[in-house]
Amino acid sequence: MWWLTLLDLFLEILGTTGKKFINFVASIGHFFIFFGSALYWVFKPPWYFKKIFQQILDIGYFSLPVVGLTTFFSGMVLALQTYNGFTDFNSESTVARIVLASITRELGPVLTGLMVAGRIGAKMAAEIATMRVTEQIDALGTLGTRPMQYLIAPKIIASFVCIPLLVLIGNTIGILGGYIIAIYKLNFNPSLYLYATMEYLQLIDIIQGTVKAAVFGLIISMVSCYFGYNASKGAEGVGFATTSSVVISSVMILTSTYIITALFFG
Amino acid sequence: MEKRNNKKVIIKISDLSKSFNNNFVLKNINFQLLEGESLAIIGASGSGKSVLLKNIIGILQPDKGSIVINDTEMVNLSRNLKEKLLLDLGITFQHGALFDSLKNWENIIFKTANKEKINNKQGKQLAFSIIKQLGLQPEILDLYPSEISGGMQKRVAIARAICGNPKILLFDEPTSGLDPVTGSLIDELIKTAVKTVGGSAITITHDMASVCRIADKVILIDKQTISWTGTPKEMFNSRNKKIQEFVKPINSEIFFK
Ligand SMILES: Nc1ncnc2c1ncn2[C@@H]1O[C@H](COP(=O)(O)OP(=O)(O)O)[C@@H](O)[C@H]1O
Ligand SMILES: [Mg+2]
Repeated sequence: MWWLTLLDLFLEILGTTGKKFINFVASIGHFFIFFGSALYWVFKPPWYFKKIFQQILDIGYFSLPVVGLTTFFSGMVLALQTYNGFTDFNSESTVARIVLASITRELGPVLTGLMVAGRIGAKMAAEIATMRVTEQIDALGTLGTRPMQYLIAPKIIASFVCIPLLVLIGNTIGILGGYIIAIYKLNFNPSLYLYATMEYLQLIDIIQGTVKAAVFGLIISMVSCYFGYNASKGAEGVGFATTSSVVISSVMILTSTYIITALFFG
Repeated sequence: MEKRNNKKVIIKISDLSKSFNNNFVLKNINFQLLEGESLAIIGASGSGKSVLLKNIIGILQPDKGSIVINDTEMVNLSRNLKEKLLLDLGITFQHGALFDSLKNWENIIFKTANKEKINNKQGKQLAFSIIKQLGLQPEILDLYPSEISGGMQKRVAIARAICGNPKILLFDEPTSGLDPVTGSLIDELIKTAVKTVGGSAITITHDMASVCRIADKVILIDKQTISWTGTPKEMFNSRNKKIQEFVKPINSEIFFK
């Protein structure tokens, strides 16, 4: 009977997608178990302060050039685009306001997040995956340390602290970029522009940007550590962990920025 | 305290089986390691020797069976107790597993530095006191593992394992890839550790000369299980086909002399 064949086909499609779906749900569950366990170790003493400090240096300090460069150019391009795009409103106050709001609410945190995901996320994932593949993580466990506490927790603490700071610095540099274009290319009045910037500076925007940055810090470190920690044997294991962590954390950054914005301005 | 022939039983493996994706690597493994005994495990590559070791130290979970170390059942033991128990073990991994972000001396004293406060000078001194038994120069202490040769890495890994004088030694192919002179140095070290300190050792090895030097007892793993047990001497006179394959190269060497 024709409808039986159809039903068979339907069931088969359902079966394969079902399997994929179950695998997908299982890996999400797996990730959240890792997330919970990592969070537990973040709060559990003793803390490896030397490790945390090394990570802060690596994530915070050494990311400054790339974050500064991206936000600087974003500020400049924003000023230019606003001026060209909104010819009706190209006053000091409009340009300053748009540059300010775009940088503090969105571009500062997101660009910083993406840059750090590329730079630090990849590095964390590769480092931990290599340690997994070469049995260093197994060795840690036999030498009186907990790998989660010694290896993972410092990275999460440092990311959570550093990325908001990076975003604050990036925001400042981005606004400076806008200012330079406004004054030297668009020939705006410096004091009027600065005045407008100060007037429209909103605490809620800064808070929102900082919350985003902290969430991105968690996303980048958790995702990268997760993929590194669960890397499969062999060189492909390291490669897979690295690319997956960058792709997944970037996607999660862009998704969560929407969710946080909606929560703030719902 | 369980005893056998008046000797303490240090490690007792009973009915241990381990599979990956329904493929059994080990089936019904039974053996004991007594106090002051040095045991060698031989077997072809891929026969599951490293898997056996990883089961003993709790990195892998057996499908079934029991692993008792110093009268404590390891399978399903709580994390804390397992970690405590592992501190009495000196372990080397087949591929070294040195921490590549730490200098050699930091690698060597890692476990000790975790237990007690130790400054850099004391740490290096402690590391040096160990590596000099292994024929290594003090210059390597301040280098990273990636900056020394494979043979040296092997010895740094052994130094890390024996730092703090653990009573139980578990070595996965400690002499593979070493020149014969350094190899016999390591063998001496294992023997000394067992005979003078009263420790016990399990050494996985392919090196029959090494087996003769260090082992009181030899175990052959073949077809997922222990297919032969005996002393090194018995090994050379054995009719077992597999054992003969292992000792043949050495026998013919003697023959050519
Ligand atoms: N984590 C693992 N997952 C799946 N298979 C494994 C794993 N570890 C080892 N094996 C398999 O178990 C077998 C025995 O490996 P191993 O114990 O390393 O051999 P060897 O005797 O050379 O030390 C091999 O076939 C290996 O592929
Ligand atoms: Mg092996």
